[in-house]
Amino acid sequence: MRNKVLIVDDMELNREMLSAILEEEYPIIEADSGKKALELLKDQQDEIAVVLLDLIMPDMDGYAVLEIMQKQNWMEKIPVLIISAESKVEAETRCFKLGISDFIRKPFDNATVRNRVKNMIDLFSYKNELEEKVEKQTETLKKQYKLLMMQAEKLKESNTRIIDILGTVVECRNLESGEHIKRVKGFTRILAEQAMKDYPEYGLTPEKVDIIVSASSLHDVGKIAIPDGILLKPARLTHDEYEYMKSHTTRGCDILRNIKDVWDEVYSQTSYEICRHHHERYDGKGYPDGLEGENIPISAQLVGLADVYDALVSERVYKSAYSEDDAFHMIVSGECGVFSPKLLECFRSVKKQFEALAEEQRG
Amino acid sequence: MSLQECYAALEGDFEGTLGRLCSEKLVERFALKFLADESYPALIKAMQQGDYEEAFRAAHTLKGVGLNLGFTRLHEASDLLTEALRGGRKPEDDSLLEKVTAEYNKTVAVLKEYQGA
Repeated sequence: MRNKVLIVDDMELNREMLSAILEEEYPIIEADSGKKALELLKDQQDEIAVVLLDLIMPDMDGYAVLEIMQKQNWMEKIPVLIISAESKVEAETRCFKLGISDFIRKPFDNATVRNRVKNMIDLFSYKNELEEKVEKQTETLKKQYKLLMMQAEKLKESNTRIIDILGTVVECRNLESGEHIKRVKGFTRILAEQAMKDYPEYGLTPEKVDIIVSASSLHDVGKIAIPDGILLKPARLTHDEYEYMKSHTTRGCDILRNIKDVWDEVYSQTSYEICRHHHERYDGKGYPDGLEGENIPISAQLVGLADVYDALVSERVYKSAYSEDDAFHMIVSGECGVFSPKLLECFRSVKKQFEALAEEQRG
Repeated sequence: MSLQECYAALEGDFEGTLGRLCSEKLVERFALKFLADESYPALIKAMQQGDYEEAFRAAHTLKGVGLNLGFTRLHEASDLLTEALRGGRKPEDDSLLEKVTAEYNKTVAVLKEYQGA
């Protein structure tokens, strides 16, 4: 408990006079020199509530005691009251600069000393208590923050895992898709990072790009609801079959809607956008909703272009592979549907990277 | 001799001291303690040895005690000597110390008389 009063004065009579004022309310400890005072402070710094200090003492005077107390940061927790017969104003100024809380001139009034000591002790005990509280709360906050970060990390992991599991289902169901999903992810990342750099208006961040890339593996999740007869037909689809095939976008959304509650909203939202809108085109001629221009979510625009590119450079049951050069020109010229001018700018900028990835995947 | 008469003999400030220390008992207790105080002997010793820094401290202490106990004459005499000694200087005026000695002797004599009464 912090309640002791340390009286520092080389003269016994002075110490006794101060002690007589305060001994009823506080335990008193006395030092007859500056050196003794510092020893007591060092040993009992958590018990001393206030120091009454004389200035003029042999060997180590009051100023020297203050300088050391300041250096040790003791005055942050322990107030010092100077009691002195010193009449010079400079002495008082010098003491306040050294961090004292009050300066009482002799002759002192017993009531004044008692009141000022009580005030200082109350003030500092309140201050010390507040500081301890803040320290404890900061500690707690830090712990909670750490816990939150760990949970966020865990959540992110489980979100990614949900996507991966669904993606695996698509892969197993759709014979040609195994590598396709992986490549679309790669193209999406290249394109998205370029868009993040060149077009800040899309509001892309590294975190959002990660989510889009991860969610891109679900763009064809609706295909698990398409019968083999259509999905794997090694010939051109009839008009009705093609219309049914197109419903993989909305069917995918039905599946995602059913699991909406089990994962993070940003993840489910992004997956939903990509799944539904990756066949929309900038001129409104895509499907299923015929969205136009920037009404098509940027995530779906990015994956849409990546998906088309990969379809062109890959061999499919119904077609052989185009060269990377042909694929590039077909997309830029609008042969495979119209894309956003900004996105095409990005596509031009990353042409080499796309080709390198296509090359690498083909082995 | 009452305590009040004792202070009157010293030309001291009884009312003020009583007001500050709050009780006559405390005034008496500390006034008599002054008889055992070492400040004056320390002052004389330091002056004889030419240690004016130590003499300054002793004079300063004497001044403080004089202030607190309301020994007005002793306080005034030691205040003048303190300022003359500040910074460890040798006082040019010998009468300053003589005045302190005179007041000190008078104070002690009156206090002893009060104690004996």
